Amino acid sequence: MTDEPGRVIEARGIIKEYPYQGDAVRALRGVDVDVSAGEMVAVVGPSGCGKSSLLNVLAGIDPPTRGTVRLLGDDLYGLDEGARSRLRLRRVGFIFQRFHLLAVLSAAENVELPMAEAGVPKRERRDRARELLDYVGLGHRTAHRPPHLSGGEQQRVAIARALANRPEVIFADEPTGELDRRTGAEIIDLFARLNRQGTTLVVVTHDAKVAESAPRVVEMADGLVVGSGVRP
Amino acid sequence: MIVAASLRALGRRRGRTALALAGIAVSAALLLDMTMLASGLTRSFGDLLGVSGYALRVTPKGILPFDSEAGIPGGDAVGERIARVPGVKSVAPVLGAQFRVVRGDSAGPPLFTMGIRPGAQFLYRLVEGSEPGPGEVVVSEPMSRLDGIRVGSTLQLAGGAGVSLGRRDARTVRVSGVGDFLYDYAEQRSLAMPIGQVQRATGRPGEVSLFGVAAADGVDGDDLARRIAAAVPEVSTLSTRELMREMDRRLLYFRQLATILGSIAMVVTALLISTIVTIGVRERFGEIATLRAIGVARGRILLAVVTEGLVLAAAGCVAGLPLGLWMARRLDRILLSFPGIPARMTFFAWEAERVALAMGLVIAIGGLAGCIPGLAAVRSPLSQALREEAE
Ligand SMILES: Nc1ncnc2c1ncn2[C@@H]1O[C@H](COP(=O)(O)OP(=O)(O)OP(=O)(O)O)[C@@H](O)[C@H]1O
Ligand SMILES: [Mg+2]
Repeated sequence: MTDEPGRVIEARGIIKEYPYQGDAVRALRGVDVDVSAGEMVAVVGPSGCGKSSLLNVLAGIDPPTRGTVRLLGDDLYGLDEGARSRLRLRRVGFIFQRFHLLAVLSAAENVELPMAEAGVPKRERRDRARELLDYVGLGHRTAHRPPHLSGGEQQRVAIARALANRPEVIFADEPTGELDRRTGAEIIDLFARLNRQGTTLVVVTHDAKVAESAPRVVEMADGLVVGSGVRP
Repeated sequence: MIVAASLRALGRRRGRTALALAGIAVSAALLLDMTMLASGLTRSFGDLLGVSGYALRVTPKGILPFDSEAGIPGGDAVGERIARVPGVKSVAPVLGAQFRVVRGDSAGPPLFTMGIRPGAQFLYRLVEGSEPGPGEVVVSEPMSRLDGIRVGSTLQLAGGAGVSLGRRDARTVRVSGVGDFLYDYAEQRSLAMPIGQVQRATGRPGEVSLFGVAAADGVDGDDLARRIAAAVPEVSTLSTRELMREMDRRLLYFRQLATILGSIAMVVTALLISTIVTIGVRERFGEIATLRAIGVARGRILLAVVTEGLVLAAAGCVAGLPLGLWMARRLDRILLSFPGIPARMTFFAWEAERVALAMGLVIAIGGLAGCIPGLAAVRSPLSQALREEAE
């Protein structure tokens, strides 16, 4: 396996099987993916083709049945669980379809949480949380708790949370899945802006708008990558 | 921060948390009471034995104090032999009998009457008047109060076989004092008079029911008990420790009850806490899966969940402590109203260590009970947890 400079993700021969009633469901059947620093990649394909499975394997959430993943220079599944967890906390950002902010914490506290877990001093994380909420356009709602925010606003808070520890790569699984078209478009704009500023993004989506905004599209079907194109 | 969030989540679900807390407080109170009950009676019995300074008891062979009517024949002589054992400071003979107060032609109920040696006795403390001389008695404080008997009053007493003969056999005695009788149950009427008088009136010359023995300063009770047993082998000599051990044996039933009820309280506490924490964790399943995904360490999530259990338990203790003490006082009053139990005893011992033990147990249970949902939350496969929440 090579370790090219500027390579963020390097996945080889990924097979993922889920045990199911004594049998195995094969969600990924041999996938190779490379993502370089600064790329924004959309992963598309029909429902059930293995997009979420791939994202989880690439991001260090779920080990593959077979195959290897290098993420940010580390052999991801050669690391123990704790080290993988620390890597996710400090160098990777996550955005999910359901925002899953902590309902009892304010928007600012939700953004502070990953920083607190990473040991960032209180004052610094408070300032940064405010800055990030400003960045996603929620500077005026920092004290509000998620139940009092709209879906789009909650997803913005989730994005700010994903950015908290200055990740080198962000993984997003259906980030616009729960949002209406206009709100979704705002989130896409936010991603494009992040990408222009140098963040690497891998976005799973079946939203054509999201796919269009990504310079590179990886197309999946039935557990395999069937096409990978860079938009001119 | 995630610990704070966890606790805030408890606070948000106020009604449910309050109900659970009430339950935890009740079982913490029960556990506290059972811990206090397990040792209370024996301990206060020991205190009571020692309070007069006469810590040893000498009884007829194989018989515990006042367990039967049996006496020590030739007791006066035995008493003299005991007094000569080195280390003995004082010997207090007691002869138990029953007398009745006779008024006109009718005799009252039998009164527990003790023959004692004035000036060397361990059964009462004078609160008024003086020790009884010949033809005199000391009455218990409830008897004085309930029957209007004062120092200087006279009583007609009939004892033993004389009862059926009515007033013909009765003799007049003068009340020399009122005493606080240490071993009496609540509101008990009893009498004490010089032992010779009881021996004569009941036709048991020289007989003694038991002796209390006071050890000289610095003499170990158990050592002295062994020396007396060697010098006077025809009687049983019991140190406070042995008497307490015997009491413990007799109260085994109480301790078993306390153990069973205490265990039930612990199980109920554990179930309450793990149920309430489990519900909270299930409700935040998606949040917790997301926290794990973004890289929050398992240990930290476990800590947050366990802290919920600990805080519930601690808050339950805070509410349970006064409740438990109040319940102990009520129960004590009920149990002590059983006849035959000295009013000075208590079934529930207030011992700081015991209270701390009970409270510590509750809090430990809280932590353990929190571990169950905590481990479940961090052990489930992460990809599965993320999927489940999306369903
Ligand atoms: N934990 C699991 N246990 C069993 N089967 C699973 C599990 N996770 C995924 N699968 C199966 O693997 C296949 C791929 O699932 P995956 O979620 O990766 O698809 P997807 O492309 O993300 O679909 P969608 O667009 O609907 O989100 C599906 O057939 C799914 O049923
Ligand atoms: Mg999916």
